[in-house]
Amino acid sequence: MKKILIVDDDKIFAKILRDGLGVERKDVYEVTAVHDGEEGLAKIQELKPDLVVLDIMLPKITGIEILEKLKEEGVSTPVLMSTQIADLEKISRVVELGAKGYIIKSDYSLEHIIRQIDEILK
Amino acid sequence: MDVLLGTILGLVGIGALVLSVFVFRRAKRVTAATLAEQEEMRQRMYELAILKEVGDRIGYSLNIQKVADVIVGSLNQFIEYSTASYMILGPEKIAFRADIDKAVSHAFLDDVKQRMRLSLAAILDRDLGKVPLEETVTGAILIEDQGTSVQSFFNIPLVIAGNAVGVLTVAHTKAGLYKEKEMTMLYKIVGQASQAITQLEEVVTLERGKLQAMVESMQDGVLMTDTGFRVLVANSALRGAVNIPLGRELTIFDIVDACGGVLDFKGRLEESIKLDRTFVAGEVNLSGSIYQVFIFPVKSATAQGLGVLGGGVIFHDVTRERAAEKMREDFTSMMVHELRSPLDSIKKIGELLRTPSIRDDKASYDEYMGMVYQSASNMLELVNDLLDVAKLEAGKFQVQKKPTSIRTTIEDRVKFFDAQARNATIKLDFAFDGHVPDTLMFDPVRISQVLSNLISNSIKFTHPGGAIHVHALLHTQGRSINEEVTQAGLSWFVKDAEEKFKDLPNCVVVSVTDSGEGISSENLPKLFNKFEQFATSARSGEKKGTGLGLVITKGIAETHGGFVGVGSQEGVGSTFYFTITA
Repeated sequence: MKKILIVDDDKIFAKILRDGLGVERKDVYEVTAVHDGEEGLAKIQELKPDLVVLDIMLPKITGIEILEKLKEEGVSTPVLMSTQIADLEKISRVVELGAKGYIIKSDYSLEHIIRQIDEILK
Repeated sequence: MDVLLGTILGLVGIGALVLSVFVFRRAKRVTAATLAEQEEMRQRMYELAILKEVGDRIGYSLNIQKVADVIVGSLNQFIEYSTASYMILGPEKIAFRADIDKAVSHAFLDDVKQRMRLSLAAILDRDLGKVPLEETVTGAILIEDQGTSVQSFFNIPLVIAGNAVGVLTVAHTKAGLYKEKEMTMLYKIVGQASQAITQLEEVVTLERGKLQAMVESMQDGVLMTDTGFRVLVANSALRGAVNIPLGRELTIFDIVDACGGVLDFKGRLEESIKLDRTFVAGEVNLSGSIYQVFIFPVKSATAQGLGVLGGGVIFHDVTRERAAEKMREDFTSMMVHELRSPLDSIKKIGELLRTPSIRDDKASYDEYMGMVYQSASNMLELVNDLLDVAKLEAGKFQVQKKPTSIRTTIEDRVKFFDAQARNATIKLDFAFDGHVPDTLMFDPVRISQVLSNLISNSIKFTHPGGAIHVHALLHTQGRSINEEVTQAGLSWFVKDAEEKFKDLPNCVVVSVTDSGEGISSENLPKLFNKFEQFATSARSGEKKGTGLGLVITKGIAETHGGFVGVGSQEGVGSTFYFTITA
C-alpha cells in the first residue's frame, strides 16, 4: 500500500479527503493526516510517504517553507499543494519549488483530487 | 491828578482805537476767508467734475497707455498748454504721444521730448539712450517758428502699484504758467487714474491667482499647450506624474515619453486641436499611479466666434478607484469562498455519510456531525454579519437601549470566553474601576456582541502563555485620558486617545488589551474598513476571519453615541476600546 500524508490545518478538508480516499481507494492507499507544519515535517521524515498533500498556509511552519526544506535536503517525495484561494503568485512559487500540482480548496472535487493522486502515484 | 486823568483818558482813547482797528481787520479777514472758501468750493466742484469725466472715460482699463491717452485728451478743458504729452516705457519701445493745442515748432517738440526722456530715465533710474520712440502727435500743426520755445514745463511721473512706468508732461510757450493750483490738479488726475489701475490690477492678479491656485492644487494633472504644442500651463500634479520637477522646462515630449507606447499622445492632441474634438484617450501608468487621460481643444470666444487657442489635457488619477474596484472584487471573491467552502464541505460530508463504513463508525459520524454544525454556524454568523453591515451602510442599523449593568455584561462575556482562553493557555481577566456607574443605557445584546468580537479577536491573535485584560474605567470630562489610564494601572497601547477624548463628556471606556502579535501602524487605520481589512487578509492568505466583526463593532459603538479606537505596538500587544456615554 502506498502511503499518503495530508498536512492541513483545515480539519474538515483533511478528514473528507482521508475518508474519501479510504472509501474510493480502500486497500490502495494508506492515509495519515496531521494539522500543522511542525508535525507535518516530522511525519514526512518519520513515515517517508509516497505522496504529501500539503497546505500552503500552515501554523508554525508554512507549506512553502516545508517545500523549500525538502528541496534543500534533496527529498524527492512528490508533493500536491493545497491552497484556500487561487493565489497565482504562490502557485507559481510552489510549482517552481517542484510541486507536482495544486488543489484549490474553495472549489474542489474529491473525484478530481483522487484522479490527480492516482496519476502521480501510478 | 489832571495829568494822570489825561493819561488814563489818552490810554482809553488809544485802546478804543486799537480795538476798532482790530475789529475792522477781523471783519475784513472774515470776508476774505469766506471768499477763499467759496473759491475753494468752486475749485473742488470743478476738480470733481473733471475727475469724474476722466474716470468715466478711463472706465475699467488696465492699459496705462490708453489711460494716459484719455488724460492727455482731456487736459485742455482745465489747463492751458501748448503740448500735453506722455512717455511710457514698453518692453522694446517708448510710447510717446503729444497733443498739440497751439501750433509749436519742431524744436519745441524736440525740446519737450528731450526733457521727457531725461526725466523718464531719472525716474526709472535707467539709461534709455537706445530705446526707440514710437510717436503719435495729434492736434495743431507744427510750424517752423523760432519764437516758440519751451517757457513753462511741468512733469508728473506715472506710477502703477508703486512702480514708475512713465511721465506725463504739459509745456507752454508762455512763461510763468503752471503754478500750484494747476500742478495739484494734474497730480490729482494722474493720481486717481494710477490708483484705479493699481486696484484693478490687484483684483485681476487676485482672480488670476485664484485660478492659478485652483489649477495648481488640483489632484488631476493639468496641461495646456498652444496650437504649436508649446506647453503653456502645467500644474504640479502633472509634473509629479511625469516626474519633471518644478523649475525644469517641461515640453510636450516629456509627456510623449512618459506615455510611452501606451498612448499616441501627440497624435491625439494634434487631432483634438485640428478637428476640435474631445478624446478620452485611455489609461496610462505613470510614477506608480494610474491616470485616465482626457484630451480636448481649448477654445475662447473672440470677435470672430470660437477660436481654438490650443490643446488641453487632463490626467485624472484613478488609482484609488481602481484599487477600490480591486478591493470590492477581493471582497466578493472572499465572500463567495467563505460561504461556498463550508457549503461544499457539508455537501461532501453528506456524500461520504452515505457510505456505510463511514456512517457506521460512531466516532467518525460524530466528528462529521460536529463539522456540519460548525460549518453551518460559521455561515450563519457570516450571513448575520453581512446583514448587519448592510444595515449599517444603509443607515438602518438600530439598537435597543435600556438601563443595563455594564459590569454584569462584561463579566458574562469574560466567563463565556474563559474556557476558550484556557484551552489556548491564555490568561483572561477583567477589572472594573470603582467610579464606573453600574447601570448605563445600552443595548445588552449588541454590546455583548462588541465584547465577543473584541475578546475572540484577542484570543485569535495572542500566543499561548499570553494574557488578555478587559477593563472598564470612567473618563471624566476635562481630564486627560492618558492620566486616567495610568491612574487605573492599565497597560494600554493607544497613542491617539488624548485628542479623541478632548472635550468629551463623561463616558465609560471599556478596553481589551492583549499581549498578542500587534498590528503594524500601516494596517491600524484599515481595521475598521470593510474592504481594506478584507483585502489585506485575502492578500496575505491569512485565515483571520472576514474582518466584518470590527466594522460591526464600530457601527454598534457609534449607534450608541460612542466610538471605537485601537492602538498597538507590533510584537508587544494591542488595545481595542469602545466608549459608552455615562
